[in-house]
Amino acid sequence: MPKNYRSVLFPFLLLVISQASSALARPPQQSPTSFKAVHVIGLQDAKHNAKGKITISKDTLEFTSGGARNDLPIASIQDALTGADSQRMIGGTVGFLTTFAPYESGRFLSLFRTKIDTLTISYRDSGGGLHGAIFTLPQGQAAVLKGQMVAQGAKTSMSAENEASQQTDGKKMKEKNQ
Amino acid sequence: MKRAMSSIVPASFLMCVIFIGGFAPNAQAQPQKLGPFKFAAIQIQQIQSDDVKLPAEFQMSLYENVIEQVEKTKKFQHVYRDGEMSAAGVPDLVTLHCTVKGFKQGSAMARQVTTVAGKTTIEVHMQFTDKDGKSVLETDTKGQVRFFGENLRATYDFGKKVGGVVRANFTATSPVSK
Repeated sequence: MPKNYRSVLFPFLLLVISQASSALARPPQQSPTSFKAVHVIGLQDAKHNAKGKITISKDTLEFTSGGARNDLPIASIQDALTGADSQRMIGGTVGFLTTFAPYESGRFLSLFRTKIDTLTISYRDSGGGLHGAIFTLPQGQAAVLKGQMVAQGAKTSMSAENEASQQTDGKKMKEKNQ
Repeated sequence: MKRAMSSIVPASFLMCVIFIGGFAPNAQAQPQKLGPFKFAAIQIQQIQSDDVKLPAEFQMSLYENVIEQVEKTKKFQHVYRDGEMSAAGVPDLVTLHCTVKGFKQGSAMARQVTTVAGKTTIEVHMQFTDKDGKSVLETDTKGQVRFFGENLRATYDFGKKVGGVVRANFTATSPVSK
């Protein structure tokens, strides 16, 4: 009986040790440091609807698109708010041209939409002037980015939890009205 | 046969009138003319929406679009933002206050699928005041998106209309070199 007991316990212990060592060796899961985003409006040196990347470095928010780079000191951010929206899966010029497609197929294609997040930032420049910048990000990314910004010192008038509950309330109200 | 034709002709005429009427420019499309006023600079205040619940992205997009469109008119030597400290020393300054009076968020998908439903509308009261706070010009303007584009396009439409009001009522003090 004790021999049997040992034969069961030994592989079990080995399994526990191997699991523990692999967990220690694995680096802790990190949230992304750069985010794919579309600049809707607001930044001085970026075009409207420019696709690019947002990176949070030590104390700046960096938006790079093509060759252009916009740096925004995080301390100057007065408010950062997230929202939810959706957009046509096929957008741009091709999306517009589908409206002329035969048999109303353009309308049919309009039914396919992707959910996106919006991030609205209001900040003041060195002269005290108020600026607003709006970005769209893939679904679920805005809250993560906002969390990183707040951790670096950006101000916000609403916590991420409150925003999430407000968005679900808004959806329910919309469904009720329809 | 004759009776059928007699009922079809007025019906088709009525449909034509309704269709053309939908595209005809309404009274609001023509900016109200009360000027010409002459001011060297303009300061644009942040959009207020105390009575109406307006999403943050719409509020910021309205503000940025108004600044962009007023700059395009080239009627002022300088366009100051909300809170810009250097505006305090300008003697010949007009300030634009915008208050949102109504907001109806439509659906881009409904617009693209049905063409007639899902309109997004923003109603804004604009007031231009001089340095003493005396009202120079007051008007109500609507920004809307009816057919093409996402909901935020209504803010661009509003910006264009503000630009129209500025063009109609203000004259440039001296040629703006930009």
